[in-house]
Amino acid sequence: MGLLILLGCFALLLVIGMPVAYALGIAALSSFVYEGIPLLIGFQRIVSGVSVFSLLAIPFFIFAGELMLHGGIASRLVSLASSAVGWAKGGLGQVNVFSSMLFGGISGSAVADVSALGSLLIPVMKEKGYSADYAVNVTVTSSIAGIMIPPSHNMILFVVAAGGGISVSSLFMAGLIPGILMCLCLGVAARWVAIRNNFPTEKFPGWSVVLYSAITAFPGLFTAVIIVGGALSGVFTVTESGAIGCIYAIVVCLLVYRSLTLDGFITAVKGAVRTTGMVMVLVGCASAFGYMLVLYDVPTQLTELLYKISDNPIIILLMMNVMLLVLGMIMDMGALILICTPIFLPVAISLGMDPIQFGVMLMMNLGLGLCTPPVGACLFVGCAIGGVPIQRAVRTIWPFYLAILLTLMLITFVPSVSLFLPNLLDN
Amino acid sequence: MDKKLSIKPILDRILDVLAATGTLISSIAMVVLVSTFGWLVYGRYILNDTPTWVEQLALLLIITIAFMSSATGVKERTHLAVDIVPLMCSPRVKLILRLCCDFILGGFGLLMAIYANDLMQFSWYKEIPLIEIPEGVRYIPVVVSGVLITIYTTVSFISGLLTLITCQSNAQLLAADSKSKTEE
Amino acid sequence: AGDWKGWNIHVKDYPVSVGMEKFMELANKNTDGRVSGKVYHGGVLGNQADAISQMQLGGIDFAEFNLGPLGVSVPETNVVSLPFIFKDMDHMHRVMDGEVGENLSAAMSKAGIIALSWYDSGSRSFYNNKGIAINKPADVKGLKFRVMNNELFVGMVEALGGNATPMAFSEVYQSLKTGVVDGAENNWPSYESTNHFDVAGNYSATQHLIIPECLCVSTRAWDQLSDADKVAVKAAAVESAKLQRVLWAERSAQSKAKVIAAGVKYNEIADKSAFQDAMGPVYEMAIKKNPVLKDIIAAIKAVD
Ligand code: NA
Ligand code: NA
Repeated sequence: MGLLILLGCFALLLVIGMPVAYALGIAALSSFVYEGIPLLIGFQRIVSGVSVFSLLAIPFFIFAGELMLHGGIASRLVSLASSAVGWAKGGLGQVNVFSSMLFGGISGSAVADVSALGSLLIPVMKEKGYSADYAVNVTVTSSIAGIMIPPSHNMILFVVAAGGGISVSSLFMAGLIPGILMCLCLGVAARWVAIRNNFPTEKFPGWSVVLYSAITAFPGLFTAVIIVGGALSGVFTVTESGAIGCIYAIVVCLLVYRSLTLDGFITAVKGAVRTTGMVMVLVGCASAFGYMLVLYDVPTQLTELLYKISDNPIIILLMMNVMLLVLGMIMDMGALILICTPIFLPVAISLGMDPIQFGVMLMMNLGLGLCTPPVGACLFVGCAIGGVPIQRAVRTIWPFYLAILLTLMLITFVPSVSLFLPNLLDN
Repeated sequence: MDKKLSIKPILDRILDVLAATGTLISSIAMVVLVSTFGWLVYGRYILNDTPTWVEQLALLLIITIAFMSSATGVKERTHLAVDIVPLMCSPRVKLILRLCCDFILGGFGLLMAIYANDLMQFSWYKEIPLIEIPEGVRYIPVVVSGVLITIYTTVSFISGLLTLITCQSNAQLLAADSKSKTEE
Repeated sequence: AGDWKGWNIHVKDYPVSVGMEKFMELANKNTDGRVSGKVYHGGVLGNQADAISQMQLGGIDFAEFNLGPLGVSVPETNVVSLPFIFKDMDHMHRVMDGEVGENLSAAMSKAGIIALSWYDSGSRSFYNNKGIAINKPADVKGLKFRVMNNELFVGMVEALGGNATPMAFSEVYQSLKTGVVDGAENNWPSYESTNHFDVAGNYSATQHLIIPECLCVSTRAWDQLSDADKVAVKAAAVESAKLQRVLWAERSAQSKAKVIAAGVKYNEIADKSAFQDAMGPVYEMAIKKNPVLKDIIAAIKAVD
């Protein structure tokens, strides 16, 4: 009964349009009341959930992404991508995927990627004769690279939700190959669709232009090297490297690019605190919600249920993937990471899956959810920028879904895709 | 109608100032946060004397950023929500659902202010290690956030209720809705 | 007395966890089922600071706390966080099972926490990744040591000439591995289970901290018990502590053997007096902040 109240309240609040974070918190509080646990403890959980040291990396990653966006680094990365791969068939599609790979590696937030790259690239693509829905589809799906390629604040959420014991650096390494693999698959899909629709090509600008844009982009791209490299080499902890990344981005944009104005800086800080507030309150409320899930013994019961349906690991893994996909279609990524990790991770471990591989699988799975209706923040933002109704974008998006699903299956059933690099790092 | 029109601009102005102050405070907290971590690294490598207060101060700052800016997010409706059902409904039902959300969220904000205040008093005599300020300070932004959420949702609830009462037809509701959107 | 909710930070098979399960089993048996409950292992209900508040506010009914972080809520218990306050494990047992333990228990009950029995968490020693065998305070000089968030531990490392670095536990492994810090300090089982021995292979038995833990019940749960049940529950707690101490000693020995077999270089320190002498300023700071500690320190020194 208590569990029913918890889940029922949550579902009802979601349906009437309550923000996900507060829906989690209010549902949790109502079952605190039902169980006779003092509400004080509910609010203590919400505040303590935010007050976790490992979470500090998140505002830094978000801030670094905002600084790159408003300080002129993002546009230079796009120029690099454009000169390097813009001349191929369906070139601007490839540029889009390639830019997501470069920029996504830094901003770490899929929605930030869509709004940043989308506003840069979608208008250009439309102008050059690509269809609007194609432009939106490529932008939206390739933004998942931002989650997969380190640094990624969603990976930090996963590590925190898993209750420690997973090294953030290893997870960062683990996301690299799947992220690149996904971009390759998307690149193929983008090319295929472009050929079928006979979209135009760009002219090759010449090697000197490629070299020039590579040189201009390099100092900005180095922000990602500092964040990831600083943490991996042990000069900094992950949290510190996030902060140093921000400081570096400010210095580069101010002194090297001279493109960061006071207004740009203020916009970046405001954007960063807005996103941080959303993510952190979500984490806090999810922590109160998780407290009740533990008291109701949900993780154990779900594990037992899954094993009752089948004891074939492949079937269970597929079932988990389907469940995550469905959940991803209706809910937001951060909330799902926080809720699903404690529930599904034990199942995955009991199947002999490495927690790191599970983390990568979860990221990609929920990332796909960001691009699917009815609730996909990335899809919404992309469609809004492209001026395309959601129904129309969804009609032609399937080749890209297929590319992502293919990568997802590789991640699920071939452990070394995720684990090769972290293992290499350990030895 | 006339009365409402004369009060509303002043009220909106006050709320805007509140929200701007909240954003300012969290922005300052963010800049300080980044700077202290720069100082931490500098201290450890250059001075060989690691500042021991950074970690605990950072946790205080993150709570400030989280709760101050999430309250602003309530006012500006930037929190992620699942709005498939409201979008499918008629303008009247949609407005009623929004009123429900405002009402419930307002209640949540009020409870948050009350209980966070209790928690603040409860833990005031404890001390946060290494920075020697009361543990209760941690809850101040939470109390403020609760109060702000209550204010924002109450104003939104009342103005929504007035719209619901004054607008008879769906067309009027749509017009009021688009007007409030352009105001934002 | 209803269903008690129990908080525990450790994983299921840890000595503390087994002890707590034993406590519940015995308490249930001794009271003919009037006391029953469930232990939530692995810190799923929050960290220790949260759990202490939850105990005071009525969220959880019993718990196993390390006395270190309890000092924030019960200043008297800070005494066990003083470096080198106990001579060795046996001395700690004699102190805690005697009058001093009872006085600490009385102080805790004022904060809504009834300590029923004292569990072990071994002794904490320094380890480092610099290949240094620490034998005297000078060996610590200039090294970056991670310590828990407590000014006494910061003061201790500073008094020895080291660079104290408070850091969240979750960041320590990576920091030791990559050299963000040069060392840390902990007991054998934690040193082993966290794999810190893989990345910091020199363990020097400074045994600077011997911090007891307590099995406690909240005052509100305790007050609902009849006098007979109180005796029965207390007996169950004492019995479980005996089991926990035996299991802890076994586990310590196993962990020590395992890490030494894995190549950890280990040194004992024949004479720790140089370390103890260096602690003067730390004790002064502690007493200045909590004058109440002065008498308790004297009482502990008086126990042979
Ligand atoms: Na990323
Ligand atoms: Na979705």
